[in-house]
Amino acid sequence: MMFPSLVHDALVVGAVLFVLGLVGILTRRNLIVMFLSAELMLQGISVSLVAWSRYHGDFGGQALVVFVLTVAACEAAVALVFVLQAFSRTGRLDAAAWQELRDAEIPRRIDRELPASDAVSPVWPQLAPAGILPARDETAEPEREHV
Amino acid sequence: MIAALLPTGTTPLLVAAIAAGTASLWLLLPQASGAGGRTGSLGGFFGGRTGLVGIVLGLAALAGLALAGRRLGGLGEEAAFQLVALVAIVGGAATVVTRSPVYSAIWFALALAGVAGVLLVLGAQFLGVATIVVYAGAILVMFLFVLMLAQPTGMAPYDRVSNEPLLAAIAGGVLLALLTTSIGRLSADPPACCTIPSRADAMNAAPSAPRADNTVPGVAAAPVAAAVVGAADPDALSADPVARLGRELFGRHLLAVEAAGLLLLVALIGAIAVVSRGEEAGTAERGTR
Amino acid sequence: MPPTLPATLLVLVPLLPLLAGLATVVFGRRLGPRAHLPAVIGIGAAAGAALLLLLAARGSGDGNHEAPRPVEFTVDLWQWATIDRALEPAAGSTAAIPGTPVGRGASNARPLSLAVTLRLDPLTATMLLVITSIGLLVAIYSIGYMHDDPDQPRFFALVSMFVFSMAMLVSSSSFLLVYVFWEAVGACSYLLIGFWFRRPEAARAAKKAFLVNRVGDFGLAIAVFLIWLTYGTLDFHDVQAADGTILRGVLGQDRLADAAGFVGGTVGTLICLCLLLAACGKSAQVPLHVWLPDAMEGPTPASALIHAATMVTAGVYLVARCAPLFLVSPGALAVVSLVGAITALVAALIGTVQTDLKRVLAYSTISQLGYMFASLGTGTLAGFTAAIFHLVTHACFKALLFLGAGSVMHAMGGVIDMRRFGGLRKVMPITAATFMVGSLALAGVPPFAGFFSKDEILAALHARGWPEHHGGDHHDHEPAASAPPAVRTASLRAARAVTAAPVARRIASPAASPTAPGPLDWLAVAGLYRGLFWMSLITAGLTAFYTFRAVFMTFTGPTRLPPEAAHAHGGGGDHGGGAAHDGGVHSAHHDHGSHGAHGGGHGGAKAGGSHESPPVMTRPLVILAAASLVIGWLLFATHGLGGFLAATPSLTAPSVVATRVPPAFHFDLAIQGTLAAAIGIALAAIGHLGRRSDAPSLERFLGPLQTLFARRFFFDEIEYAAVVRPVEWLAWFAALFDRVVIDGLVDAVARLPVALGDLVRRGQAGVLQRYSLAGVAGVLAVLLALAWQLWQ
Repeated sequence: MMFPSLVHDALVVGAVLFVLGLVGILTRRNLIVMFLSAELMLQGISVSLVAWSRYHGDFGGQALVVFVLTVAACEAAVALVFVLQAFSRTGRLDAAAWQELRDAEIPRRIDRELPASDAVSPVWPQLAPAGILPARDETAEPEREHV
Repeated sequence: MIAALLPTGTTPLLVAAIAAGTASLWLLLPQASGAGGRTGSLGGFFGGRTGLVGIVLGLAALAGLALAGRRLGGLGEEAAFQLVALVAIVGGAATVVTRSPVYSAIWFALALAGVAGVLLVLGAQFLGVATIVVYAGAILVMFLFVLMLAQPTGMAPYDRVSNEPLLAAIAGGVLLALLTTSIGRLSADPPACCTIPSRADAMNAAPSAPRADNTVPGVAAAPVAAAVVGAADPDALSADPVARLGRELFGRHLLAVEAAGLLLLVALIGAIAVVSRGEEAGTAERGTR
Repeated sequence: MPPTLPATLLVLVPLLPLLAGLATVVFGRRLGPRAHLPAVIGIGAAAGAALLLLLAARGSGDGNHEAPRPVEFTVDLWQWATIDRALEPAAGSTAAIPGTPVGRGASNARPLSLAVTLRLDPLTATMLLVITSIGLLVAIYSIGYMHDDPDQPRFFALVSMFVFSMAMLVSSSSFLLVYVFWEAVGACSYLLIGFWFRRPEAARAAKKAFLVNRVGDFGLAIAVFLIWLTYGTLDFHDVQAADGTILRGVLGQDRLADAAGFVGGTVGTLICLCLLLAACGKSAQVPLHVWLPDAMEGPTPASALIHAATMVTAGVYLVARCAPLFLVSPGALAVVSLVGAITALVAALIGTVQTDLKRVLAYSTISQLGYMFASLGTGTLAGFTAAIFHLVTHACFKALLFLGAGSVMHAMGGVIDMRRFGGLRKVMPITAATFMVGSLALAGVPPFAGFFSKDEILAALHARGWPEHHGGDHHDHEPAASAPPAVRTASLRAARAVTAAPVARRIASPAASPTAPGPLDWLAVAGLYRGLFWMSLITAGLTAFYTFRAVFMTFTGPTRLPPEAAHAHGGGGDHGGGAAHDGGVHSAHHDHGSHGAHGGGHGGAKAGGSHESPPVMTRPLVILAAASLVIGWLLFATHGLGGFLAATPSLTAPSVVATRVPPAFHFDLAIQGTLAAAIGIALAAIGHLGRRSDAPSLERFLGPLQTLFARRFFFDEIEYAAVVRPVEWLAWFAALFDRVVIDGLVDAVARLPVALGDLVRRGQAGVLQRYSLAGVAGVLAVLLALAWQLWQ
């Protein structure tokens, strides 16, 4: 008995999402993006589970997805706390910042030169002038040039 | 060996699509701007030739995937599924390859929308909505909040490089090939363990049906229960699915639901505890600098 | 059942010194200068108890004329260990030794039951009295001798512990307990020799004593194992089992009554030789005697107590206790005698040229112990009792001599080299007089104690050498030479029964023909004992010579004092420094580290500040001198000790009783012994009387022999070359092997993981995503393998 076509295709979609998330985890250095990738993997799993649920014609898979959602929420909360802690220690969200924990005599692995700031200057929207220019607090955080 | 693994039919197309997708990912992932000036990313739309090639390859991969897909039922269902699947995959890929984490998060929201659509098409209405609510509404906002808190100055240098993109892309490609191939093979010839019993078999197995209550969870119970409700027919799920999911959750999985609730509470308390203690440590450390 | 009075006393004798020792350990510092109180009180009370026990152990009847009924009395304290089925007859453990006559099969199956049992018999009672009374006198003497030593509590604690251990050694009724306390007295001896452990000589001497004793202890351990295998028990006494059957002890009366109760042959001889090795170690017999002269590095009272009077007699006690075992191996007995006589002669020869007063006495101790062994080796009742008799008298006069030497040393500021002082008779009259009494006793001059005991030993040897002279005539006290022919034939027959020991051999190997000569029978012939007798006689002369040489050198002639004496006692202050610049004199020059502080307090500062010792030191000397004067003829005239000891169970074995002869005063032997002593004294007088003690003397005429004696027959050198050097080579090789091979292997084992870890550690660069990638690669590998497996 063949799989229903929809189930098959949904499984493939789930696999693609999972693999995309995996590649993201493996490559990206920003801790936040790494967690986004992890969530993407979870999405792939969810799609798979729902597809199997449909295949079997019951709600077991869907119930599992509910738990996946729960765990993802917990994970996000705790993980973000840890990310914040890590950030408060290093001042960076860089996963590679923690390679300083290696043994003293082992050379740095990630020593590639970081690229200078992008030459692309963003084009910020121009608002029509209305009223007077608000006074700027010079001591405040510098205006971000890029998000 | 690969040839032996390949099933008949659409698989070469699938493999080609996966290969194209792998290459596309590699090309699109943020790289250090070396001598070649590879600045291409979705962040700086088509800013370089490699980015363009990557996007073209990615589109080709999507097309291949779509072509390799099975013919679905009606035109509406097929179109809807392909649309939401496309949104999910494109969103996911963009999440991974976008350099700016904020954009990454926004692309992730798009991917979530696609996933929610897929879930809806698959007949899991509650989950589709819940995904949007929980992820896009809560988790993603939290991520963005942290991002804004941690990186007020925008994109950091380390966002512009990625770690072993080629190896990671190849690993992902191989994994995807394995998964899709096995899905294809399973679909063509499901093993005995996963064969859905026919309605007649289910009737024969009726004496054991009372075991399929919430006191005896188990692998064997699921198909039997499914057979009793006649769920082998996909349409059987469509009748009042949210209420039945609720019954399933608070019937068979009541204990697990309670445990999940407890887990949420513990995670909440833990997060608060850690962040409050870490604040002290962090301020102390910063004070010494 | 309430404990009887003798049982209580028997427990109290070891217990009181033990409590005293513990009290000294705990409260010693608090007691300060009165740290001697617990020891003196405890040992004194124990001596009183031992005196009462002597009465309790008195047997019925006169052991000299009819075989006495054995007197034996045991107190079970507690069960130490019980092992069911410790020795299975089917296990064939005894059969592992070829030719071992397995004893009663049923008795071999009994469980190993180790009870802590004290025993009382005449031998034990005698030993206990000697130990506690000498211990008491030494403790009192030490009050004066040690009163300025900052480690006084340690000294008295050790003395108390020694008295406890020694009392337990002689009163415990099991070979295992004997072994335990054999080690305990060795440990006390070690600690007391090394009492001034900051001096390297003392530390080295203590180590040497300990190591040499280990050799003997090893022999005792082997003997205990063999006895367990052969007899299936370690108890001396019989045990009444719950069902009324008697479990035979090794030396129990039940076994003693059985003519075939003791195992002879190879195993029996081996047991006896191992016991002899143990006795040689503890009692400083050749060739294990080398530790005793060095042991004089300890405080002099400890030397008097341990290395002269009591501990060194433990070997004599052991052999006497195991007399029935020895009697079934005539060869071993002959070896005992031979070792004893050789030791006596050799030590006496060495003693003639020693210039260190304490060393002269040490060699004299070795020599006298050799006498005792020679006497034990005769294997006759007279021999055994003579040995114990000599043990008792020797304990008195040797303790006296040592304490006198200590007194001299005390006055001379730690100098003990006889060439550096002289004419002390006028300086310290009490010491001189008592020392003289002790010397006369040691030399064997009638009527002092040593004369009688030495005469008995010579008689015992003579009886084995010329059996026809000592008849079985119970009524004729005249010299046996004048006995009528009929009596002489009878005595010949009796003597043959002794010398050839057919009874013993029959027991040893029932299958063998009684007339077949054993491998060691040539040793048991009378000729050997004739030689031993002459050796002993020569030794008697030598003993007199070196004793009086020491007396003349020390106490006669012009009065000369070493500068240390004046320095120490005139100034009365810095005594430690006074001894320290005494670099030219070897050994024992700093015996008494810090006793000078009291020097100014008493004494008329005559002859440059030297003086007689305080009364607390001289009174024990006087008591011991009186004892040395009377104990000999008191015990001899009544034949009290021999008859008393004859009731010891070990000495009531038929094989011992068969050798019983009536006590007699052997006039001819007495004359010979006295003559020898007189010649020795005369030679000493020619050489030393009235001369300066550093004048060239008689031994200068000895020529090369002088070197031989002065270097102590090169025993130390020979043993160093034969034992220590090979062991050092072995140790060097073992160390090399250990360093290169064993350590190399260990290092290799350690280096392998290090190398592997180094290899893997390269990947451990702290890069999170590298780890994830590796994990993903692993997952992929597993998945590929699975796919290959499933889809093949």
